[in-house]
Amino acid sequence: MNAIKILVVDDEDNIRFLFKEELEEEGYQIEMASNGFEAIEKVKGSKFDLIVMDIKMPGMDGIQALNEIKNMNKDQLVVLCSAYGEFKQDFSSWVSDAYVVKSADLSEMKQTIKKLLEIN
Amino acid sequence: MKPVDLLGKIIEISHSNLEITSRINAILNIIAREMDFDEVIVFTYDEDKRLTCKYMNQKSSLFKILCTYRCHIGEGIVGGIAQKRMPQFFSKRDIPLRFGCLFYPELDGCIEKYKTFSFLPLTDDSYLYGVLAACSSTRETMHDSEKILLSIISREVGGILKAYELLISSKKRISELATLSELGKLLTSNIEPHALFRNIGLIVAKALNASFVTIRMEHAFLKFDLHRITYGEIDPATENHVNRLEKDAIQQKRAVTLKNYLLDQGDASPIDISMYSTPIISKNKVIGVITIGGTKSQQNFILERSEQYLVNNIVNYITNGFENTLLNSKLRDVIEELNNAQKRLIEQEKFRSLGEMTANIAHEIKNPLVIIGGFAKRLAKKVALDRTENRYVDIIIKEVSRLETILNEILDYVKETHTSREICNMNDCIDEILYLFSSVPTWDKIEIDKEIDCNLPTIMCDIQQIKQVFINMLVNAYEAMHGVGKITIRTEQTVLDNNPCLAVSITDTGGGIDLTAIDDIFNPFFTTKEKGTGLGLAISNRIIMNHLGRIEVKNMAGKGVTFFVYLPLKENTIKEEFL
Repeated sequence: MNAIKILVVDDEDNIRFLFKEELEEEGYQIEMASNGFEAIEKVKGSKFDLIVMDIKMPGMDGIQALNEIKNMNKDQLVVLCSAYGEFKQDFSSWVSDAYVVKSADLSEMKQTIKKLLEIN
Repeated sequence: MKPVDLLGKIIEISHSNLEITSRINAILNIIAREMDFDEVIVFTYDEDKRLTCKYMNQKSSLFKILCTYRCHIGEGIVGGIAQKRMPQFFSKRDIPLRFGCLFYPELDGCIEKYKTFSFLPLTDDSYLYGVLAACSSTRETMHDSEKILLSIISREVGGILKAYELLISSKKRISELATLSELGKLLTSNIEPHALFRNIGLIVAKALNASFVTIRMEHAFLKFDLHRITYGEIDPATENHVNRLEKDAIQQKRAVTLKNYLLDQGDASPIDISMYSTPIISKNKVIGVITIGGTKSQQNFILERSEQYLVNNIVNYITNGFENTLLNSKLRDVIEELNNAQKRLIEQEKFRSLGEMTANIAHEIKNPLVIIGGFAKRLAKKVALDRTENRYVDIIIKEVSRLETILNEILDYVKETHTSREICNMNDCIDEILYLFSSVPTWDKIEIDKEIDCNLPTIMCDIQQIKQVFINMLVNAYEAMHGVGKITIRTEQTVLDNNPCLAVSITDTGGGIDLTAIDDIFNPFFTTKEKGTGLGLAISNRIIMNHLGRIEVKNMAGKGVTFFVYLPLKENTIKEEFL
């Protein structure tokens, strides 16, 4: 069975590193991108089961990237993951599949990912 | 004494500066003494225009009896003289024992001894001021020369009464004018309504010698704590009558009186109360009622026609002045509210920038914290540490978690989720915002064009948040135009998705939004400005969505942008009755 592929998009190296370590431990195969442009390039190159996307990034931000990716493939699962809790209530107006507030406790993110993958 | 000396003496007295009663009584004494009369009495009009005896010679015995009676003009002998204005002389032979005005049972046995009766009108050529009556028990007849002498004396006494009446009426007129001028000053002043009515009450009570003056305001538009302002004290037992009288005055839209109502005092003698109630009418609407009350025992409290005239004058004054005061007070409220709004906005702006700064710092801290905490957790999982080191890592994890909680709390607080719903007139709201910008010098080159729908219904909304949305849009417009151009603000009632709603549009001449950016303008952190946070429109959008409304953009490339803010009326409307 092929491993589940997840793309982690975040401009902070150490966040990417942390997510990679934690998610790999869960058995996922992780690739990384540091901004929206890079993420889109990666998505064009290969197929991901899920994308974890930060919002505030230099270059292309997460929402722009999200819209573009969804335009290319509306079934692509995308989890927005941001330090900003305030926009959690706005997420319904965006096309992402989930919104997770960044925290040192990664269990919420892991659970959300697991649930989304199970449903789809 | 010779008639000439007698006249001389009388004229001397009449021109002296003695008080009127002493002057007339002195004259009557001289007449009685010099012309052999037992009784010389002067009848004058009382407040009801009835003749009653007021002056007498010292030895008079009939005065005591006669002063309890009053007669109308034409009634009895005294009334007859007053009507015909012709002197009449009787000797005992000519008259029945009882006659005319003297037809009072108490006079039985008192007047039989008199032999002559003389009655003379006290008049100048146009007015009658009273009647002089003289009786003598010694004189059998009156000579013609004595009749003439009495007539001359009567004219003199009439003259005294006339002068006195003139004095009294001009005094009264002066005090009326003084009252009205005092009221005028009061009503054109900037005094607030509550104090205004207290002072009116005081002035009216003073002018009319009333025991109380009460003003009840019917209109709700004044923010009164009290709807009744009373000067003086209303007897609890009278209160019902006051209420009834006020009700009548309001219903009938005219003045009503309650005269000489006897208030039972238990053992003590009842108090005689009179009241006068007149509505204050402005633009054919009763806005209040003023009631004046007093007792007989109170000197001079009488609501005669002349007094009622004064009260009506006062009410007219009040109505006119009141509208002025109302306008003033409304104006003052508006100015005050504007000032408050400005202060609030400045405060809010400070708070907002402080909040924004705090939020930015909090967010910047958050990422490193996630990293520290995340790796500390991994550390705890990965390495087999002894007990002490485990505790160290544990402490790091717990402290990170504590910091995260604190940061979240700060962010929660800063983002101001608490909304309050108030009645909002959108046109006023916009005016207040524009007023703020009008005082900013850098906005000098911005032309602002308002197209306002005056019949816009009010809605319930969080005014401060809505203001924040418009301020944000105006600032965006200003920046898009680089400080020079025209902003058009339009308000209207319209329909969106089959629901009636209120629309506010803001159009600028800033050249429009770049087509590549138009889809992103509501996204948080998206900005075309050098130093923008990218949060303005995102937050605006959220505020309007919280009000179940919507923001739409119409981009006219090369010209400008129009932002439409739609707020549904259904969820946000309030009933008109509030106004």
